Amino acid sequence: MSNSVLRSAATMVGFVLVAALLPAFLSGFQLQQVSVAISYAIAILGLNLLMGFAGQICLAQGTLFGIGAYVTAILNATYGVHPLATLPAAAAVAALAGLVVGLPALRLQGLQLAIITFGVAAAFPQLLLKLGSWTGGVSGLPIDSLEPPAFLADNSELWLYLVSLGCACVAAMIVRLVLAGDVGRALHAQRDSSQIAEALGVNLTKTKLWAFAISSALAGLGGGVFAILNGFISPQSFLAPLSITIVIGSIVGGSTSTIGAFLGGLFITFVPTWTSNINLALGNVIYALALIGIMLLARGGVAGLLERFAAALTRRSKPNGKATSIS
Amino acid sequence: MTLFVQIVVSGLATGAIYSALALALVLIFRATNVVNFGQGEMATFSAYCIWQLSQWGLPLWLSIAIGLAGSFVLGILSFRAFIRPLLAAPVEATVVVTLGMFVLFQPIATWLRGAEQKPFPSLFPEGGVNFGDVRILASSVGTLLALIVLAASIGSLFAFTRLGLSMRAAAFDRARSVLVGVNVERMLMLGWGFAAVIGTVAAVLVAPRLFLSPTMMTPILFYGLAAATVGGWQSPLGAVAGGLMVGVSESLGANYIGFLGADMRIAVPIVLTLFVLLVKPVGLFGSQKVTKL
Repeated sequence: MSNSVLRSAATMVGFVLVAALLPAFLSGFQLQQVSVAISYAIAILGLNLLMGFAGQICLAQGTLFGIGAYVTAILNATYGVHPLATLPAAAAVAALAGLVVGLPALRLQGLQLAIITFGVAAAFPQLLLKLGSWTGGVSGLPIDSLEPPAFLADNSELWLYLVSLGCACVAAMIVRLVLAGDVGRALHAQRDSSQIAEALGVNLTKTKLWAFAISSALAGLGGGVFAILNGFISPQSFLAPLSITIVIGSIVGGSTSTIGAFLGGLFITFVPTWTSNINLALGNVIYALALIGIMLLARGGVAGLLERFAAALTRRSKPNGKATSIS
Repeated sequence: MTLFVQIVVSGLATGAIYSALALALVLIFRATNVVNFGQGEMATFSAYCIWQLSQWGLPLWLSIAIGLAGSFVLGILSFRAFIRPLLAAPVEATVVVTLGMFVLFQPIATWLRGAEQKPFPSLFPEGGVNFGDVRILASSVGTLLALIVLAASIGSLFAFTRLGLSMRAAAFDRARSVLVGVNVERMLMLGWGFAAVIGTVAAVLVAPRLFLSPTMMTPILFYGLAAATVGGWQSPLGAVAGGLMVGVSESLGANYIGFLGADMRIAVPIVLTLFVLLVKPVGLFGSQKVTKL
């Protein structure tokens, strides 16, 4: 027990150190990209809850991300609300949208949610164009840039980075709290055996719906942050492949790990940037091979590999120390 | 009224294509309990191979025959490489791998032949017949006939042959099928092979309408999934009925619901599927699965 507490404390310290040191080593543009990666990581954190713990796959996480982004943009551009004040609304609207789809799709064992959300993701960009009077159609919507506070007046990238990091920490806390609470216990029970959990009085549908609502809310939050970071959004940013990319980020990072969500966010932000210079198709090939390879060889993703590595190190110093999951 | 009949007829023709893909999806689901998101892209890849063969001067029927045989092998290879190692894993894991296949086959096609659209020769003659004011295209009739032949042969394979019986047994209970002498792994492999062939038939039927492109089957895949869900993921009959329902309702919706129009027609199968899941969650032709602890 103390071993696992120790290890998660070590992970936390390592994370804070890396997060604090990054701005010193990166250029303004790279820091901006890391911030975008963090906004994806927020959506991945939500998806991890759904995929890693509730055993459901959402192929419209990019759509919910887009809904969050558009709520932020519309509230800001049309009604003049301060960008940061729109974030709770972005999360709430995305959660509601998720519930509308999840209510019929989550009543059965199986993959109805994946199927329905696959279609929803394809329809979303068209819907944005149809609702042109709200969403600005093809030309998109601008979002006011954030005024950094006085002590960061000349470094707005750093301020945006801190804002997105703050939102990501809130998201990670929410996921931890949910997993530690009643819903988390029900999720663990239904993951081990759905029939026994149901026989013991766990309402499976309600549990999965909760997980999906929280997952959608975090996607919306991530989308809102993404909109603020970019300062401009259009339907082009939320095409159907984005949703699959977010699933890839979750799997590659490790779908039960908090650190994994950040690794996944970085992966899906930087792979396209690096490969687009070589060949447009190459990025997708790397995605596909990473996805299949991880599933066949290392189900825990990159975070799982790191954890195994750390466990091997600790085992060497203490022969009877058991490997426990960080989750 | 004429317009209505015309819309229904064209909906049936597109629905036949959705039915064909749904047949492939249901076959794989029955055999290995996997929803194969890679089905459409695999079929696109095979269609590219057929197109290439016919470009090299082979007659169309021969290229299609080779393409179908090739896709049978491709289906078996995909099963052995990607699915067999994960048969014992949770459903989500296998679905993620089929998503990986979805992401994999698309860039391969782009890489080999570029992203631009290519015309694909039609199997059926031009023109059609008029019944009163309703015009029925030869290609629509041909597509429907192809579907009927396909569905009937799969249905009779399952119902009347020893092979079909073994496949049903392997899908129903892997462990106990081994005890009665069914080679389960071979049956699952054959299931994937047959499904890949059916998927390729769907792609060959679609390609002349939509032109050949790496993303040709991506929207069709969703219609196929919707058709299978509406039909209940169990019987070939359900897949066919589901596909025709999706096709007709989509084409009615696109023409009569002003807000949707041609570009939002995908909303119709989404709403239809949600509605069926709400009213009869196991699908129109499905039945409740009973599990013993």
